Amino acid sequence: MVKFSSVFHLALVAFFIFSLGSSLQALDEKKEKKRKEALEEADKKAFEVNMKSYKDHVQSFIKDYCASCHNEKRKKADLNLLTLSPDMKLSTSASRWAVVRDKLETKEMPPEGKDQPELSEVQPVLAWIKAEMKRSRRNFTRRIQVHHANEIPHELLFDPKNDSKLEVQPRLRRLSREIYEKIRQEHGKGFVNLIGNPFTPDPRFLFKDMGAPELDEPTTSQLLRNALTILERHTGYTIENGKVKLKPGAKKDYIKFVDPKEPFGLEEKKKAIQYQFKRVLGRNASDEEEQRFLKLLEKNIEDAGRTLAVRYTLAAVYLLPESIFRSEVGAQLNSEGRARLSANEIADAISYSLLDQRASNELIKSAEKGELDTPEGIREFVFKILENEKLRKPRILRFFREFFEYEKATEVFKNPEEFKGHKARVLVSDTDNLIRWILDRDQDVLKELLTTEKAFVNTRYDSNKKRLTQYEGKSQIHLSYSLPIDWKWTDQQPISLPAGTRRGILNQPSWLVAWSMNDDNHAILRGKWVRERLLGNKVPDLPITVDAQLPHAPEKTLRDRMKVTEEEYCWQCHKLMNPVGLPFESYDHFGRWRAVEKGKPVDATGKIDLVSPTFIAEPIHDAVDFVSKLAKSERVEQVFIRHVFRFFTGRNENLGDGRSLQEAQKAYRESGGSFKSLVASILSSDSFLYRTRG
Amino acid sequence: MQFDSTRRNFLRKTGLGVGALTLGPVVQQLKARARGQGPNAPRFVFVVESNGLPPEQLAPSGVKRKRRHQRALNGPSEFLDVSLKDKELPSSIAAISPWKDKVTIVQGLSGKVAGGGHSNNFMALGAFGGGRGSSGESTSILGPTIDGALAQQIGGIFPHVGLGISKRLENSVVYSISAVGRDKPLPIIVKPDQAMGALFGSVASGSAQKEFLAKRNLLDFIKDDIKRAEKELAGPEKDQLSVYLKTFDTLSQRHSRLNEIKDTLRKHAPITSDKYTSEVETDRLDAQFDLAAAALISGLTNVVTLSSAAGIRDFDICFTGLGLKKGKHHTGHGGSQNGMTWAETYEMIRRFHFDLIARLAKKLEAIPEGDGTMLDNTVIIYLSDGAEGHHSRCWEWPFVMLGDAGGKLKAGRYVDYPGYGLLGHRTTANLYTTLLNLAGSPAERFGMADPNLKDLDQTGPLTELLA
Repeated sequence: MVKFSSVFHLALVAFFIFSLGSSLQALDEKKEKKRKEALEEADKKAFEVNMKSYKDHVQSFIKDYCASCHNEKRKKADLNLLTLSPDMKLSTSASRWAVVRDKLETKEMPPEGKDQPELSEVQPVLAWIKAEMKRSRRNFTRRIQVHHANEIPHELLFDPKNDSKLEVQPRLRRLSREIYEKIRQEHGKGFVNLIGNPFTPDPRFLFKDMGAPELDEPTTSQLLRNALTILERHTGYTIENGKVKLKPGAKKDYIKFVDPKEPFGLEEKKKAIQYQFKRVLGRNASDEEEQRFLKLLEKNIEDAGRTLAVRYTLAAVYLLPESIFRSEVGAQLNSEGRARLSANEIADAISYSLLDQRASNELIKSAEKGELDTPEGIREFVFKILENEKLRKPRILRFFREFFEYEKATEVFKNPEEFKGHKARVLVSDTDNLIRWILDRDQDVLKELLTTEKAFVNTRYDSNKKRLTQYEGKSQIHLSYSLPIDWKWTDQQPISLPAGTRRGILNQPSWLVAWSMNDDNHAILRGKWVRERLLGNKVPDLPITVDAQLPHAPEKTLRDRMKVTEEEYCWQCHKLMNPVGLPFESYDHFGRWRAVEKGKPVDATGKIDLVSPTFIAEPIHDAVDFVSKLAKSERVEQVFIRHVFRFFTGRNENLGDGRSLQEAQKAYRESGGSFKSLVASILSSDSFLYRTRG
Repeated sequence: MQFDSTRRNFLRKTGLGVGALTLGPVVQQLKARARGQGPNAPRFVFVVESNGLPPEQLAPSGVKRKRRHQRALNGPSEFLDVSLKDKELPSSIAAISPWKDKVTIVQGLSGKVAGGGHSNNFMALGAFGGGRGSSGESTSILGPTIDGALAQQIGGIFPHVGLGISKRLENSVVYSISAVGRDKPLPIIVKPDQAMGALFGSVASGSAQKEFLAKRNLLDFIKDDIKRAEKELAGPEKDQLSVYLKTFDTLSQRHSRLNEIKDTLRKHAPITSDKYTSEVETDRLDAQFDLAAAALISGLTNVVTLSSAAGIRDFDICFTGLGLKKGKHHTGHGGSQNGMTWAETYEMIRRFHFDLIARLAKKLEAIPEGDGTMLDNTVIIYLSDGAEGHHSRCWEWPFVMLGDAGGKLKAGRYVDYPGYGLLGHRTTANLYTTLLNLAGSPAERFGMADPNLKDLDQTGPLTELLA
């Protein structure tokens, strides 16, 4: 297979076309000088081009749309755009231009009420900012990469006329916590408690494995410690009666490298190195790598003796960049300035996306045979993985867990005195099973998720035997689902719930509890969830000047107590949450359906609005009515697809992903709502397969 | 990258950056101690216990203190200053009575910007606000926390050591309450055996010298390998490797430094026991306190944070080692158990923490330094990330401090600041500014000002606490 570093090599050659050849290795001065001259020349040309487009497009745009506030006199936000230097290399203006770019992309500027530019007017400005940033090598990360991706205007993303260019930065991502977990379990078998998992998700992101968080010293330190611990265990032995005796965790394959009775000449040393490469990276070491590792091994033998030398040399394989990072750099730039990921990168990316592990040999072979060279080939392959029942695909269920966040139910403390039947762990397991069941059928998946009348009750999935069992023996868990008190457990699940009481995940007790407080519902958080994850708006953060607390009045309903949020100042944000959170008042804070609250019939009405033209003040009667209406909306479908996209690409979408998203929606619709098709479409989309520069 | 500069500054200031290690200030500090000189700056130990510290439980004998109302103007208009000399410490902290003249109980500070909740996470030591995330209590990191800032200011082989316990056994490192800058959390190692490896690993095993050399070779090799890969990249993906490389530079440098002081390390390294891997949370906390003492005494660090399950993910830990069966959430909601009311349970758990604090103080007191002992140059600060209670609102935020920072603090007192919004009212940000000043920083403020106190001067240290 193509090895990691040569993938880099290709990418670089593509990037510095002018510095072709072997100048990378041979850094003699002459070539270096030539390279510099070439760079300067290229820079000069780029500057001329950029200045021209600044004069042609940007200046007039600023005059027309920005300068009435950002001029010398008013200098709003301390910014005078008329004099902000267009030369980002010689000035420090790039960071401010980055703000301009973000504001334009998210349509925050020009503000409401002012003249709005056409997309065709904005695009050249964005292109210029990008180009000049590239020239000046001042890349300012998009706020959108970590900020709320819903800020990208939804209508534009799904506008068939959106022809924004694909824009995906090449990326090295460190392994996710779950990928490392697999390595840890496999390589630390028998002493796994000694191997720490140092990777923590970046909390700024919606999903856990997003972005490319940087490594820090404590993490590296732990990785080093882990590598040494593994090798120490694998090569642990004592000598008894002149014979080598294995210590716990030792492996015969490794012991022979350190057993003083076994020969350790050049051939054996090479074998040790190759063995470790194969085991850690699933490939052989190249000749060059073998030579370097041999050198290290020899030096270590000299300094520390054979056993320690083997440990400290083979441990290095665990720490190579290739062992720590996932590479999504791309091979050769094509004429459109895009680079397709290399075949191996694609194989790995698909495997990581679904299985939490590096590509298997089979996948690598397919890649080498060219089976992943076309989107069709990739789709076929993804389907093959998804339909292979022998393979566990932990990432699929994880998406739904992280999307709905019903797992949080286990973190919400409930007073057991109030309702003994409440068992959050069981409720989560039930919802897992319901999702598995919907995914097995793979039809109208979103609609089913939102409106299925079925439910699993008190169930546990035995992944070895692939069947359901009863989670808890004597229990009242069925009361969480408002089933009759004398309901008897059955293995014929899912069951149908009493008509009109609940439908879909958002009416499952697990989800309701996850978004509740210790002793009451939390209509505000529920509303925020629906608003952001299904309707695709953004709810602003709570201003720190606001002391957000509902009045303490046990005699009143939550709806009544929330009246305080209807004051004008609060309502600016609460209008986004309350009307789409209160329909869940159909249930109490354990998720039990109720007809009466505090002696009065339950009021679970609400309204879907503020996403015109999709919904214009659609009235809601109760929770069941609510989810049925949500399920009918194309907008909801699109917002769901945006989230699936984020999860499987590990990043937030931008305007350039419009086409990939539209194709994903098409694939989903044409397949009758198949989640497999949706995932296959995303994993074979340009957004997944290509990287762009600049 | 945007946050790079903070990190780089951090490394530079703390002497851990590339090419900044020839002098070895720690070695000098150890030598100075041998010559009978004190350090330039005091050491700081933060002990952060989850689930709130009720103010009414901190009054010494003869002083009545109720919890203040959750509103402005909720307290007296006068600053209260009581000497502890003839008083008895409240029973839950009685273990530190031998050092009563070094104790300061600080009441009446507010920290409203943090917003409150079951935990204020990074905001507790950061004195900033962050709005509330979707899970309730925000975990945003808008700037450095005070322990991170002090670490930057003071430096050391390990500028900051974060040790603690998590309610989840499988956790090894959590990021919960400490940070060195915006979005730069500092790790809290929650497995004592792993903390042992990180701090004393270089001398823990027998063939130390050989391993030392082999490790150096390994580090050099990896650095070289990363550099090769780096050369073949451009753009942000190259930055990733540069950062990875930098972490190895730091490791290499620390490696050389640990070698310089290995005799000291050998002398002070704690002897591990099954407490280090125990499933019982009190055992693990006990082990972490041992490690903290050893790390301070052997000069590995000057700033330690000991987190007793602080942070939203862990705050409702159950102290089974104290015979409890129900977690702190239960207690926080007024639940009783083992014949104790919620208030008694709070005090019992705190008593355990102060036994550990007392043991730490004793160990530091046994090491001569300058004209006195290490304890004279150390300040231990105890607080809760849950401010004043289970559902904190941060109208008040109590602290217990042990240590007078070489006489710079006027200790041996119980002080209570005026009510929220009244003249003379102060915030946690002022306390943290005080600590920064003690460490030699000229800072006039820390964290974020409280917008609702805009009529008051919120800058400067708590002059009332200074000698």
